[in-house]
Amino acid sequence: MGYRILEGVRILDLTMVFAGPMSSRILADLGAEVIKIESAVRPDVMTRTNVYPENKLGEEPWNRGFTYHTINAGKKGITLNLGSEEGRKLFRRLVEISDAVMENFSPRVMENWGLGYEELRRIKPDIIMVSMSGLGHYGPLRDFYMYMPGMEGMSGLAHLTGFPQDPPLLSGHAYGDWVLGAAGAAALLIALYHRQRTGRGQYVDVAGREAVICQIGELVMDCFLNNREPSRVGNYHSSVAPHGCYRCKGSDEWINIAIENDEQWRNLCQVMDNPEWTRDERFTNAVSRWENRGELDGKVEEWTQRYNHYELMRILQDVGVPSGAVLSMKELHLDPHISQRGFFEVIDHGKGIGKRPIAKQMPAKFSDVEEFVPRRAPRFGQDNEEVFCNLLGMSKEELERLEEANVIGGTFTFVRGKPTRIDLIEKQGSCSVDPDYLSELSKHYGDDIGSM
Amino acid sequence: MNEQALSGVQVLDCTRGIAGSYCTKLLADFGAEVIKVEDPNGGDPLRNMEPFLKDEPHSEKSGAFFYLNTNKKSITLNLRSETGVKIFKELVKDADVLVESFPPETMRELSLDYEILSALNPQLIMTSISGFGQTGQYRNYKASNLVLSGLGGTMYTSRPANEPKKRPVVQGGFQGEHIAGLESLIATVAALFNRIHTNRGTWIDVSSMECVASTLTGYTGEYSNLGLSRKTSPLPIQGYPGLCNYRCKDGWINPTPGLGAASNIAFLIEKPEMQDDPLLANTAARITAPEKVDALLLPWCMKHDKWTITKKAQELRLCFTPILSPKELIEDEQLKARDFFNTVGHPFMGEVTYPGALAKLSDTPPVAGKEPRLGENNHEIYEKLGYVSEDLVKLQETGVI
Repeated sequence: MGYRILEGVRILDLTMVFAGPMSSRILADLGAEVIKIESAVRPDVMTRTNVYPENKLGEEPWNRGFTYHTINAGKKGITLNLGSEEGRKLFRRLVEISDAVMENFSPRVMENWGLGYEELRRIKPDIIMVSMSGLGHYGPLRDFYMYMPGMEGMSGLAHLTGFPQDPPLLSGHAYGDWVLGAAGAAALLIALYHRQRTGRGQYVDVAGREAVICQIGELVMDCFLNNREPSRVGNYHSSVAPHGCYRCKGSDEWINIAIENDEQWRNLCQVMDNPEWTRDERFTNAVSRWENRGELDGKVEEWTQRYNHYELMRILQDVGVPSGAVLSMKELHLDPHISQRGFFEVIDHGKGIGKRPIAKQMPAKFSDVEEFVPRRAPRFGQDNEEVFCNLLGMSKEELERLEEANVIGGTFTFVRGKPTRIDLIEKQGSCSVDPDYLSELSKHYGDDIGSM
Repeated sequence: MNEQALSGVQVLDCTRGIAGSYCTKLLADFGAEVIKVEDPNGGDPLRNMEPFLKDEPHSEKSGAFFYLNTNKKSITLNLRSETGVKIFKELVKDADVLVESFPPETMRELSLDYEILSALNPQLIMTSISGFGQTGQYRNYKASNLVLSGLGGTMYTSRPANEPKKRPVVQGGFQGEHIAGLESLIATVAALFNRIHTNRGTWIDVSSMECVASTLTGYTGEYSNLGLSRKTSPLPIQGYPGLCNYRCKDGWINPTPGLGAASNIAFLIEKPEMQDDPLLANTAARITAPEKVDALLLPWCMKHDKWTITKKAQELRLCFTPILSPKELIEDEQLKARDFFNTVGHPFMGEVTYPGALAKLSDTPPVAGKEPRLGENNHEIYEKLGYVSEDLVKLQETGVI
């Protein structure tokens, strides 16, 4: 009882923005000690200046951006300028007492600092170094500038997403970044297991685009086996119907129904009260249903529009029909099953933010392992003293000297960030706004949500 | 064979479907010995999943099954028979990991739940992958990739940025299942690492719905801090040009400018005089007028090829990237230089090429390997347990293997 899966594992985390921090948060969720390294010159600016509580910048806005708080929970935070010789010297000392280094700079950065893998392993022979990038650390296109759209677009995933008549579609949630981060965490753990058995460290090169291709491997096989180009099929399945997303009664409410076999089809018919059209020969067997799937969808949707999505999901699941409401961000937070299993954990994010639920980045549950709520994401340079004085044995005077020399901490000019243009998004109709979100969350997660 | 990262790890794979198979495939690709335990009556249903070689439906010619089962071994064993359960327990005694993806309660009904199995092998790591987890009010709900994508919250925002009222569309392929497979891999390897010092086994409960929702993590704060539920991509909100993907002369291009480089669009489209135009220099101006960005950029893109645009843009530090189809990946210069695709021989399918490693490990490069035929390793595995040929014939006759 009371142990953590990655207890005792120390990771130096140089990653920024999305993919890398999501990756190291997976490891922090599993109990690793993750030391996030920023500097006044290179702060993790994008996520720090996004999504402010109640859309107000407040004091120290760079410490309040909630995207940062979500994907950096459970980590320690230090500021160390690797652009300075003294900063790199301190980094080397940290490498000596760490198990792994993670980074997602563009391929030349670590080498230029003299902190490439060959150099790191001279400092600590069994170090594991994980580099996460869009297209990988070698090859003719390795220096491409790219983010999530490059990983999803250049892998074939965007080409395969959308309705046939529509343009290729990117995810609405930086999916490519998640895939790269998850692949990085998996590879790091595999290397760590190997090191523990053999004493050997290694260098891990993770390309986001390649990891996304692995997620669509089955479809890519069609190119090799049949020289065929798979295409966008909307919500259709390749052999069964009805299989789609159907409109429900409420505004922008949808339900997915995915019939797999005749038995489920019969159960669906029964719930629909066996309307006349279900006996039409176009719909009586699996093959004809699939052939006439467009028309079938129209018939099914006439029926689904009489119900709310949650109500209909319960009716259908009660008779064993695979179906599920299409949940919005609000509905996901308030979903009874999600909250029953503790997927969102309430953390006190401190002054200026207060208590708010954040989602787990590694939701698997381990029996007999301590369930712990991660501590809030670190304020800028919060753990300098702990790491430099307690771990490296530096004196407080020395720390102060290095702060004055801008090696640690230092003065910085953050982009102040801007409030989210909710007005504009609302005008575009591209979101719904719930003004009562704090009280809605309080009903599920405790009545002091958001109080600072 | 070279030493691989997970060499020596013994895995029993009782999964069916994509999530579990993907998890154990990755374990096998990194060197674990994965024994797929299949129903003697037809085996894993994935064997009947398309695409098939030359479109010929045949249980030994499925490309989907091939890809999801590389480097594994296969035995047949009927877990619904008493003898089958007994033999399975013998296998568990030597296993490090058991991965299963039955509906919750099934392992208990088979008298193969974690309590029983961990009594036989206290160091066993058992990974149970299900749609909704082993507990909670949806645990007995029926899941599918489509259903998981909706309930996991990723589908609601899967709409074109300029059409927020449109019907949501599921991501291509089987992302919900692959996400669960990848997270199960992470959890399983973490437990294996832990076991080296603690000698402890554990039971891992993976809910695919939660795995899908965990891919949203960075954005969940939009509700808890702003009350927002987005219906489309976040990119236009952040001032990326227009509507995400543009048509170009020979396909599609993604015109993401990247940090601080948007002014260079002026040089890309050969209108250097526009370098200081607020539309290019100022994010806020783009947010309020995406249609103006479209009007400026789209006509130029329509006149050029995706790689021409991409390479010129990249030189200007713009993050433009082409939208590639799966078939275009085969000829991709970067993937070729990195030897991404693997090719191995197969008795029924000839030479088969498939997408390669999830990550490149310098000291323990993964080895390419084919998928197993149904029951291909029965003799090898059962003889290790002490069964002789006559026993196997008998077990086969009684439908146990």
